Amino acid sequence: MRAAVRIGAIAGIVTIFLAAVGLIGNFTELNLIGTQVTFAGVMIVTPPLLAGYVAITPRIEAGRLIELGRGQALAAGATAGVLAGAVFGAFVIFVDTFGVERIREVFINISPVLMDYLTQGHPAIVAAAILVAVSVVAGTAGAGYRTLPDPVRRPLGTAVWVTLLFGFLQRIVPIALDQLEVERDWMYSKVTGGLTWVGATVIAAVAAAASVLKARKGDAIRGAIRGQRDRRADGARLTPLTFALMLVGLAVVLIAPHVLGSVISEVLGTVMVFALLGLGLNIVVGYAGLLDLGYVFFFTLGAYSLALLTGATLNTFVGSTEPAIAFNLNFYVAIPIVVLIAAGAGVLIGAPVLRLRGDYLALVTLGLGEMIVVLVTSPWLEPLVGGPQGMRDITNAAVGNFGFRDPKHFYYLAFAFVVLALFVSWRLANSRVGRAWTALREDEQVADAMGVSTTAYKLLAFAMGGAIGSVGGALFAVKIGSLTPASFTVLVSIQVLGIVILGGIGSLPGVIVGSLVLVGLPGLLREFEEYRLLAYGAALVAVMLLRPAGLIPNVRRSRELKDEDREQDKWASDVAADEHVATPITPLGEGAG
Amino acid sequence: MSSSGSARTVDARLSGFATLPWRRIILVVLGSTIAFVTVAGAYKTLTLPEGERYSGDFWIDQVVNGLGQGAILALIALGYTLVYGILRMINFAHGEVFMAGAFISFFFADAYLKSGFLDSNTYLALLILLIVSIAGSTLVAVLLERIAYRPLRNAPRLVPLITAIGASLFIANAFRGFFGPQPYGYPLPTLLQGSIGIFGISVAKVQLLVFVTAIVAMVALQLFVNRSRTGRSMRAVAEDSEIASLMGINVDRIVVITFVVGGILAGIAGVLFALTFQQVQFTMGFKPGIAAFTAAVLGGIGSIGGAALGGFVLGVLQAVGPPLLLTGFGIPSPFSLKDAFVFLVLILVLVFRPGGLLGSGEAEKV
Repeated sequence: MRAAVRIGAIAGIVTIFLAAVGLIGNFTELNLIGTQVTFAGVMIVTPPLLAGYVAITPRIEAGRLIELGRGQALAAGATAGVLAGAVFGAFVIFVDTFGVERIREVFINISPVLMDYLTQGHPAIVAAAILVAVSVVAGTAGAGYRTLPDPVRRPLGTAVWVTLLFGFLQRIVPIALDQLEVERDWMYSKVTGGLTWVGATVIAAVAAAASVLKARKGDAIRGAIRGQRDRRADGARLTPLTFALMLVGLAVVLIAPHVLGSVISEVLGTVMVFALLGLGLNIVVGYAGLLDLGYVFFFTLGAYSLALLTGATLNTFVGSTEPAIAFNLNFYVAIPIVVLIAAGAGVLIGAPVLRLRGDYLALVTLGLGEMIVVLVTSPWLEPLVGGPQGMRDITNAAVGNFGFRDPKHFYYLAFAFVVLALFVSWRLANSRVGRAWTALREDEQVADAMGVSTTAYKLLAFAMGGAIGSVGGALFAVKIGSLTPASFTVLVSIQVLGIVILGGIGSLPGVIVGSLVLVGLPGLLREFEEYRLLAYGAALVAVMLLRPAGLIPNVRRSRELKDEDREQDKWASDVAADEHVATPITPLGEGAG
Repeated sequence: MSSSGSARTVDARLSGFATLPWRRIILVVLGSTIAFVTVAGAYKTLTLPEGERYSGDFWIDQVVNGLGQGAILALIALGYTLVYGILRMINFAHGEVFMAGAFISFFFADAYLKSGFLDSNTYLALLILLIVSIAGSTLVAVLLERIAYRPLRNAPRLVPLITAIGASLFIANAFRGFFGPQPYGYPLPTLLQGSIGIFGISVAKVQLLVFVTAIVAMVALQLFVNRSRTGRSMRAVAEDSEIASLMGINVDRIVVITFVVGGILAGIAGVLFALTFQQVQFTMGFKPGIAAFTAAVLGGIGSIGGAALGGFVLGVLQAVGPPLLLTGFGIPSPFSLKDAFVFLVLILVLVFRPGGLLGSGEAEKV
């Protein structure tokens, strides 16, 4: 019970936090399903719901595993709900007594709109009582959900989150459906903006059915697709069904821009640029285990050197001028040169700093990343790269008359490079070089003793990672056609690091998923722009606390981890045991997505 | 191993490449280039024709400014060094701890300005601002430790660092959510406006306040760490936390106290910084944070005296270095390269003297 009280109070504070940063008040009109389920409503209900769920986590006390019975569990959930509601209700009463306008002078997001939404016209005391009641229901539901048997729980959970996700993606899915000329008015209402109840029901039913199917026949389906697994090799044999599925997948990817339209293609182009950066950083951080916080260095280097090599001009207030040193190469001639420059730069900056231990290396690279941004902005290099105004007239990488500036066309160019980078990364991972990197990452001294030349392989990782990152930069330049230093901030480094870490360090599918989630979603959800970095920070912390291996863990890495003795992984189990401490962060990470 | 013939040649080639003393070659080239550029730049700047040359007063002003900023950097750097000494981790979010104090105290300063309290009772008002700022910073520091760092105490060292980056983003953007993205003008009491002459050198009153407050705080810290019982426990935990815990020291408590002390110093630095630059914004923690970390490394991370010394040295370097070294080469507006200069110092210290000015220079420590 004490745990429930504590978690409930924390959930209440989390709700107050959500209200104070504006995640409730600014989204009272964002309908997810009908007009009844709004984003603001979800934000209010989620913390007590999660509190109820976490409150009944089985725990070990004095060497005994304590698991609550269903009645006790529901009571604990309700308790957590009461506390969450009481804390948040107290906040509402406080704001009401003190005066919204006075508080708003400091906390800009505690607005009359928020208070109107929370009180719904009732006096504050009544509103607080209603909030407590809602919280109790949510807390009990959270606890009740956890006590359900698996066959019921899984489909129910899947149905709820998939439906909410579709409601959340109301700016994306309808556009795609329109492009496909599919009738969508039954699913997404033009009036509310969100899902209709009919649409929600259908989506929930389909999601639940898929979940049941996966639970019952998942292994059989997977077996049919992948073919009989060879016991010794990792690779699966190619069955006709696999082959057909791969062809279908490829076809979908290839026609995607024409189906989805320019807006989504544009975002997908950015996603792929970041996927390239992620693949490059994955070599440095994921394979070789060197934490690089200044990856924007290579991004900037790639973008600017491509611009210079292909005859871009400098932006000025009156038009454009030639840079101090001008080349006029074709994009496809320039790219290999850019790659060589970046690889060389990787070796040059790597050599003096590689002896540093992990966290120092991180800060030095952070410094390098900042330095290059200061340099391209500075008046000193203005004649070469345009200073704060930047450069323009960058090549569109045309083949004949087919330019790649159009988002739909750029998609293909970026796709080709992503596939190339994926192939290179994949082959490297399984090569002698890749194994040397793994050895380095796991234990540098042992690797050295086993005859792995640590310096050479570290430099190689820096050079390879830098090369791939510079291609990302070059494509970015082609995509937007003009460069300003404002695009090259430390946030790029952190965003790419987030992609690698969220997806799973060292995992290639993880990089792709990571860039879709961290770049694709924010690109499409413009109204959440203000909260993107908040969600980012929360996600980084939450992933490290709850799921340090990432969303899609690297197979070999997780196998290594399993085989190692428990001692090494002790912290992971400590994390699991401490879960109730970490959870207040999750609702933000998921909610603000 | 017969099947790996081709692989072996690759390796042989790589190790052949590696047997050349590349590191040393690059270091020597880098070192002599930097020495040459420094000497040449300083010489050219100081021998510029009359009229273009900086006056003597300019350099004195730069040194005084540098010392003022150095005092603030030193206070923040102490927070990095204390945490590093105890936990062997870089508290990347310490810049945000500093920002929190400054930002929260702004609302009090603003209210006091409007009510006239700031000018009628300047000393009391400043004291309250300090206390508020300290409270804000300390609260953030303690929450940070409890939520983000404690569960990861025994994790591989990169894990808490990544968490710290996430926490830093989170705190900065939470403040943006609370108070808005725009910068706020921090009021300066009338009493602190203008400057006074000390030994014929004109010093802004704010800078004098900054300097004195910082020195007092540092002396107090030194006494706390060296004389008090808690300070002794802190040193014991820094030496060996396992043995310290066997000796009956509550390590968790000491870690929290360390974060509290770091928070207090950051809170003081927050008010001083806000008074000096008269502006607060949610992004204000990043650059001073990095500069202060550089200062801590420059002095030798983990050493309290080192952090203080590093702060002052870096402050002066930052103020004097760019005009001294760059003007001579005809580089326009050298101050725009100030931040790059900080990073350059950081990189050079780590490459050439990783132990810092006061450190032993051992490579293993880094």
